[in-house]
Amino acid sequence: MPELELDTQVKLAIYEITAEAGSVPTSSQVSRKINIEENEVLAAFRRLHAKRLLLPEPGDPHRIRIAPPFSGVPTRFPVEANGKHYYANCVWDAYGIAAALHCDAISRASDGHTGEPLTLEVKNGEPILKSYVAHFAVPAAHWWEDLIFT
Amino acid sequence: MLLFRSEETVNQWCAAHNIPRRPLVNLEQLWQLAVHWYANRLTVESRRPGPDEMAFIFKSLDLTGPFWDPKSDQWH
Repeated sequence: MPELELDTQVKLAIYEITAEAGSVPTSSQVSRKINIEENEVLAAFRRLHAKRLLLPEPGDPHRIRIAPPFSGVPTRFPVEANGKHYYANCVWDAYGIAAALHCDAISRASDGHTGEPLTLEVKNGEPILKSYVAHFAVPAAHWWEDLIFT
Repeated sequence: MLLFRSEETVNQWCAAHNIPRRPLVNLEQLWQLAVHWYANRLTVESRRPGPDEMAFIFKSLDLTGPFWDPKSDQWH
């Protein structure tokens, strides 16, 4: 198998560390995992951002705010899967973590207005359907313009 | 993208925050969106769907109209 290009190595390392640890890695953690200089990792972060595959933390390029569907910071969408705890960026990504990891998952989320606890669950590759709804405040053409708000 | 128990609490949230009410997505549609976007995210070939792929996915889930058009210039 030919050697993977650097951006792919970095992308895979980000997701492997996240899946294993439950938290999104820093540039130094990625650097250690794949044994390349941290400044090369940072350059890869920038290119992956340009490809819309991650969002660096505003003001701190060493950290990742969003590696979809995972969040680098706590959110109102915690997800338990494979015995680990993750944070999703939004309700779509709460399901997205189960889809990405191909496993059962449960998200103890809450109603966006009332704060009432609402649980999302995926079991045996299928969602446990309820009458809840998701509201998308931003049109599809503009999702990437303010990804944190979206 | 937030979760709500019902359309009623969506409307209350929109009114409280002066945010326009947008289309709603049920949990089956949401799960299918998650699978389309993320099922291969941890693999070598993963990438974000392009605009044409996004439009195809939305249409397959009955999410239609300018709001779901990745190339639409009707919303700002």
